[in-house]
This record gives sequence, C-alpha cells and structure tokens, in this order.
Amino acid sequence: MRLRDIWHDFDWTLFAAILLLSAISLIEIYSATKNSQFEQYAALKQLIWICIGIALLFAVAALDYHIISEQIPWLYMAGIGVLVYTLALGRTVAGSKSWIVIGPMRLQPSELVKVIVVVAVARYLSELRNVRYLNLEQMIKAGLICGIPVALVAMQPDLGTTITFLPILGIGLLVRGIKPLTSVIMLMCFVLALPVAWRFLGQHQKDRIINFVNPEQDLKGSGYQVNQSKIAIGSGGALGKGIFKGSQNQLEFLPTRHTDFILAVVGEEMGFLGVALTLGLLGFILFRAINTAQTARDELGLFIVMGVFGIYFFHTLENVGMVIGFMPMTGIPLPFMSYGGSSIIAVFMAMGLVIGVRRRRYVN
Amino acid sequence: MQHRDDLELLRSRVSIISYGMTIVLGVLVFGFWQLQMIQNSHYADLANKNRIKEIRLVAARGKIYDRYHRILADNRPSYNIVYIRENSPHKPEETVAALATGLGMSVEELTQKIDRKKKDPSYQPITLKEDAGTGDVAYVMAHAYELPEVSVEFQPRRLYREGQIAAHALGYISEVSEAQLRDSPDLKPRDLVGIAGLELVYDSVLRGVDGSRHVVVNNSGREIETLPDEVTPIPGHDIYTTIDLDLQKAAEELIGDQVGAAVVLDTRTGEVLAMVSKPSFDPNQFASGISSFDYKTLHDNPDHPFENRAIRSAQPPGSIFKIIEAAAGLESNDVTSLDRVYCSGSSAFYGRNFGCWVPKGHGNVDMYEAIVHSCDVYFYNLGNKLGIDKISQFASMTGLGRKTGVDLPGELGGLVPSQGWIQRVKRVKWSPIDTINVAIGQGMINVTPIQAAWAIGGLASGGRLKQPHLVDPGQLRSLGFEAPDVRSETYTIREETVETVAKAMWGVVNDGGTATIAHVDGFDVAGKTGTAQVVNKSAYKKGSDTEDHAWFVGFAPYRNPEIVVSVLIEHGGHGGVTAAPAAHAVLETYYKKKTGHFNEGTAQKVAGLMSQP
Repeated sequence: MRLRDIWHDFDWTLFAAILLLSAISLIEIYSATKNSQFEQYAALKQLIWICIGIALLFAVAALDYHIISEQIPWLYMAGIGVLVYTLALGRTVAGSKSWIVIGPMRLQPSELVKVIVVVAVARYLSELRNVRYLNLEQMIKAGLICGIPVALVAMQPDLGTTITFLPILGIGLLVRGIKPLTSVIMLMCFVLALPVAWRFLGQHQKDRIINFVNPEQDLKGSGYQVNQSKIAIGSGGALGKGIFKGSQNQLEFLPTRHTDFILAVVGEEMGFLGVALTLGLLGFILFRAINTAQTARDELGLFIVMGVFGIYFFHTLENVGMVIGFMPMTGIPLPFMSYGGSSIIAVFMAMGLVIGVRRRRYVN
Repeated sequence: MQHRDDLELLRSRVSIISYGMTIVLGVLVFGFWQLQMIQNSHYADLANKNRIKEIRLVAARGKIYDRYHRILADNRPSYNIVYIRENSPHKPEETVAALATGLGMSVEELTQKIDRKKKDPSYQPITLKEDAGTGDVAYVMAHAYELPEVSVEFQPRRLYREGQIAAHALGYISEVSEAQLRDSPDLKPRDLVGIAGLELVYDSVLRGVDGSRHVVVNNSGREIETLPDEVTPIPGHDIYTTIDLDLQKAAEELIGDQVGAAVVLDTRTGEVLAMVSKPSFDPNQFASGISSFDYKTLHDNPDHPFENRAIRSAQPPGSIFKIIEAAAGLESNDVTSLDRVYCSGSSAFYGRNFGCWVPKGHGNVDMYEAIVHSCDVYFYNLGNKLGIDKISQFASMTGLGRKTGVDLPGELGGLVPSQGWIQRVKRVKWSPIDTINVAIGQGMINVTPIQAAWAIGGLASGGRLKQPHLVDPGQLRSLGFEAPDVRSETYTIREETVETVAKAMWGVVNDGGTATIAHVDGFDVAGKTGTAQVVNKSAYKKGSDTEDHAWFVGFAPYRNPEIVVSVLIEHGGHGGVTAAPAAHAVLETYYKKKTGHFNEGTAQKVAGLMSQP
C-alpha cells in the first residue's frame, strides 16, 4: 500500500466535522481556563494533543483494519499488561490509580485500551458467521474479552471509565443477536444485581446517585455542580452571553469547566445555538459511524465501527445528560470537547478506525 | 450468498440502533431547549444571584438627646461576622468546624445560631458573631479564600452613653422578631428595631432607610467590580427628649440599689424631666447581641430589672392619698379646714378597731395638723363621712386610677375603686369598712409613680393636667410625622382648697412634718409621705419582702409649682426616711440649676444652649 492511497476515498466530511468540534472545544477551553492559575495553558496543550490525534487518525485510517485485527492477540495482551502496570505503579489522581507518566506526558491507559477492546470484541463477534442468536458460551466468551480489562479498570477504581467499556459489549451483543428471552433474563439479573452493586459503591458515588434521584436535596454537596451547570446553560439563552462573557464560567461558579462540564460553558457563552451546533456535529459523527457500519464490506468492519459508536454514543449520552441533570454525575468526558490528552488520542484513533473501514467499503 | 445474508441481518439491527440514537439525541436537545429557551429568565436570575451580591448599607439610627442636647443614645461603628449559606462550597458542619477556634466560639453555639435561622432563605446572611473584635475580623478576612461563605459586615451600633441611666425611658433595640416582620411590611429581616421605651415608641422616627450597593463576586466571594447602582442610606431622625440628665442622675444616685422608681414632671407642660426605675439594666448589652446567659440572668432576676416601675408598678398610695381625700372633702363641703377630730391612737368603725400609725394618738387635730403629721384617725373619719363614691369620683378626676398617656409602652392604669366597679368586677357589694382602708390609701387602691406625680402636681396647679411626655409633638411634626397635641385637662377646684392642701404639704416638709428631709433652702418645697402596707400588720417584718412600700410626692414652689417629684421605694419602710431623700436631691438640683449655682461648667453649657434660638 502506498502512502498516496491514504487520500483515496478519505471521509473528508467526517474529518471536517471533527475539526469544527475541535475548534469549538479549543475556544471554550481557552475561555474556561484563561484566568486560571493552574490550567492557563490548557488550550495550548489541547491543541498539541489534537495535532497528535490527527496524525494518529491518519495512521490508523491508512492501515487495513484486517491487519490490525490480525495483530489483536498481542495488542490485547499489551493492553492488559499496561493496565496491570498502571495498577501497580500508576499515579493516583482524585482517588483513582489510573495514570501513568511517560516523559512530559500523563496518560490514562484505560482510554487507549478501549480502542483495543473494540477491535478484539469485533474480531470475536465477526468470526461467528451465520449465527442468528448467540448461545450462552459465545456470550460468556465475548463477555470475558471485554470483562478482563474492565475488571482491571474497576480495580483502579475508576467507575466512570469502567462503565464506558460496557457499551462495546452491549452494542456488539445486540447487533450479533440475543434471543428476546435471554435479554429479558439478562435484564432481570442486572436489576437483581443492583442492590449488591450498591454495597460496593463508594460514598461519593452513592451520593451522586441519590442526588440524581433527588437533585434538590443537597445543592451544597454533590448536587452543587449539576445545579451550577444548569444555571450556566439556562442563563445562556438562545444566543449565549458571548464568548469569554459567561459569568458562571468566568467567575468560576462552574466546576471542572474545561473538562467534564465544557458543554455547560458552550451553553452559557454560545447559547442554544452553540449547543445545537455542537450536538449536531456529534450527532453527525455518530450517524456517519452508523452509515459506515451499514456500508462496511464485512462483519469485522461493521463490528469495529459499531464498537466505536457504542463507546462514544454512551460518552455523549452520559456527559450531555449529566450537564442538564438528565443523567447521574460521572467523570466521563465529552468526545472531542473535554480537555484531556488520553481521551482525545483515543477518540481520534477510534475515528481513524471508522474512516479506515469506510475507505474499504467497496468489495473489489 | 449466506455471507451476504448474515451481513444484511446485522445491518438491519444497526438500523434499529440508529433509531434509538435519534430518539436519545432528540431528548437531550429537548432538555437544552427547555433550559435555554423556556426557563431562560429563571436561570438568568439564578446566575445573577450567583454573580451579584447585595451589600446592605445600614442607615444610622437617629440619636436620642436630653433636653440640653446631651447625648443619651449614640451610634458607634462595629463589625459582624456573617455566614451566607447560598453558594457555600461547604456544609454548615464544615464551616462551623473551620470557624470555631478562629472566632473563639464553641461548635454548639455556632450551630445553634445557624439552626435558629434554618428556615430563612439561604441568601439571607446569618449573624454568627455580633460586634466582633479586630482579631475576629482579621481572621475572617485572612480566610476569605477558603471560607467564601463567611464575611465581615459593617454595622453602626447603638451606644447608650450613660449606661444604665434612664435605661427604661430610652428602652433598647434588637434584631427584628418574626412577629414584627409579619406585622410591619416596611421591616426587613435582620433590621434592628426598638423593643422597649422610646426606642420602640419612636422607632419609625429613629430608624432610617437602608441603602444598598451591588458588587460582582466570583465563586470564592472575591469582589470583582462594583455596579453603579448604589443607593445611599438615609439616616434616621435625631430626637430631643425632655429629660434633664442632671435631675435624672440625682434621682438615680439617691435611689441607688433600692427597688423603686421616681418620676419628675414639669407641672406646667407635662414634660418628663426624669424617670427612674430600679433595678436597671444596661441597654448596651442588647446593642451588641446580649448573650442568652446574660438575658436569662436579667430575666430571671426576682426584682425584674426590665420592668419600668415608674409607669408599671401600681401600689397602694398610702398616706399620699390623704391629700386627694382632703381636697375631695373641702370641695364637697363635707368638711372645712378648721374642723377638728380627736385622735386617741385608734378609732372604731362598723365594729372594727382602726389604729393610727402613732399609737399614743395625735390629740385634737385640724386638717393642717392631720396632713403634716399624717394622722390616720382624722382621715378614717373624713373617709367615712364622704363615702367611697365621692372619694373615687374626685380621685379619678385628679388623674388617679387611669393612664396618664405618657409616650411610653406598657403603662398601667392603677385602680380607684367605686361601688360600680366592685359590683361589675368582683360581683359583691361595697362594704363601708373598705372605705375606711381606702381613706388612708390602703387596700383596694393602686397608683403608679407617674400617676402620683401627675395627680398631685395637677392638684397643686389648680386642677390643670398636662399629658406627661418625653418628646414634644411639635418636634415630631417638624420632622414630617403626625403627632397629636399634648392633651390638656382641667377640672374646677376652689383656690382656697388648693391653698389649704398645698400649705399643709409645705408644712410636711418645712413645719416639723414627716418629710423635713426634703427641705431645700430658699425653695418652697411641699410634699407628702406615704407608707403602703404590703401585708397586714401581723405578718409584718422589718427589712423583708413584707416590709411596707415607701412613697413620697413633692412639688415646688408650693404656690404655682414648676416641678413635681414622686418616689416609690418598694419595701422601703417609711416614706419620709427612704423615699424623700431622692426627691430632695432632685429638687435641690433643680433649684441650683434655676438659680445658677449648679456645677459651674454644666450650668454655663446649659445656659448657652437655652439661649440658642
């Protein structure tokens, strides 16, 4: 394959949508951090991460996804290795041992491992040819492929990131096929497991869930952030207060403005118009992924793209739902928008996979 | 083509997922639509509340002066430590824990203060420490970054320059109560309002209108900018009372630690020149947030320091009532001043023996001698002759048994009994035996110190009653407030009657009577002592709670009087011994001031002020 081939049938529309989102993100990250003592270079750092991300996007898109799939056993083992290393020697930030330091960079390996898990699950499911519904053994195998890294992330413990792995499996199983009865049984098991899971949650996680159910109860503690986010968004109105002019943002009433609550900054400074544009672009990217999956030339391509879709649809649903109080609080970033190197690199690489699958959609 | 079929099956399932995603995205967009397009103004308000903090600019309360512009109630700068729950990044327990050591207060005390205001809206500041010291202020300022919910608030605070002096007349101020907030729409939470005395009666005159300033603050409470919509506070009006601090201090000093009251009136105008009630309290304690312990101590004191005895202690008048009765007898022509009665030390009426306070008797006495020596037997006979209705009708006319209408809250009316009253209230018939008791001011008759001064002063002035007051209505009208004129009453009384009783009262002080102690050289002081039995004689023990109340009422000069003084010492024993000295001090001070012999510095100052237009 020659390098020139990269440009052949490249999805420039999707790429343009990604760049536009990145531009909005950079403006609002700058707006959210320009007066900050500790994060004043956040926008510049984000720009560097985006550039690295673009390079990786092209690299991944250039590779044939079948080649990636062939390499998956050792990639998967490497991913597990990095997660174990993180658990053993990682750096603890906000109570989770989920970071490793490489030179000047701090990375969250769990974000990158997600991309590997996507391909691994896709490979397994695509090899089950001509199966209308999965049997128990197949479901358990698929569950284990996803479950081992999930368990390692859960041990960090990073509940938010742990949950974001589950849609890979969920979407995969849905598309590969689950009997209606089986899905009912699984749903019941899930419901029955909830009280047990509750006992394993930390106090602040319980608070977040209690607060989601009853937001007015505690506007000081865990309800404070979502309340301030809603005030920021609601006060933005149709056209927003103007870039750099959002009082909730500039006067620091909004928590974690440049990361988890970046969409609230967009809502306050750019109004409903800015939010509609942002959600429109995210929706376009997700629809593009659906379209790519449907035109993929084989099951592997379809499952890879749907795995990526599953992750980032869930990210979008959870983060967007959280800032308006529709979903409980978790530290899940908004794809392309939230500040953070690992998540930017992961999403750009994932987009590389999607573009790669789309390039090869025609059966030669 | 099985491979194709498999792919088609998967694609159809992908389609279903895309529908699901469309719905989810629609719901999220709807959420933003609702927040930003429908509830925009609500959230814009909330954002402004976050951003804009109102700083109340407290209006200075009007000052209260004495009649010569000497300051009684002043203002001084002070600082409060306040806590605003809204937008606090901490739970109350955390804030309290962080503050307790810094402010030197216990966690319980702070928690109690917060809990008491729990139901207030969360943007309402809660005062944690009133009148904070410089150390507390510095501590809060130094921790502004960690504790943005706690701040320092400037507040002008009341300073009662003379401490306990005239505390009952002045009253005190305190934070507005919930009941007051409900009743008066122009009050706001945390306003300081008058609770007692003149501070209460003239609250609307003294209280100014608060201003406000709006500042933009960030999440840590740091002020970013001041908005240009400042409203400057309008200070309250100053009030000049009729009190003469020199007379007030003279009376306070002579009553000292005794339980009692004194009222000094200008008989010509009704002006209250002094009003004392003892024991007293320091209204400054309320000004800087009285601690619950101090309040309880004062409140539970068996001598009730908060009670303004001058207008609320209704006691039998004892022998001072003889003056009224003598005048009643002369006016009804039932007796002349020359009629004599023989006092053997006791006399029997309706089968019961009534003793005179001098057991060996006064011999054959006329009205002058009977008043000068306070002969009980003379007045038993006079009372019996007049009957209760003539006595009570005349007594009421002179001002006893009803409120004087002084401009202070809570005045009691006292009691002058009559046949109608006893049938209406007690549902029994009046017994003539009770008339004998009333005749010497005992039994079912109660008079307050201000009534005693008002009635005797009015009688000595020839039946002219001027409503007692501490603030001239003209002054209030000039400030734009509605104020009725000082009420004047006159009743007809013969000149000879006034002359007879006034002369006899002069004799009490100057002719070897029961109150020679009240004599002032050069000033014709007239007066009458009274000793009111608290219990009947069998239970009497000197120096205890059962000891008699001591009265003295005096005026001067005895012709065309200018000033009248009444003194009540509860459980003080003999009026001539314990009550008369305070009256003497007041009258002497008054006379010295009048003749320019009072403390030179003060006299000059006073003369200077009096000559001002």
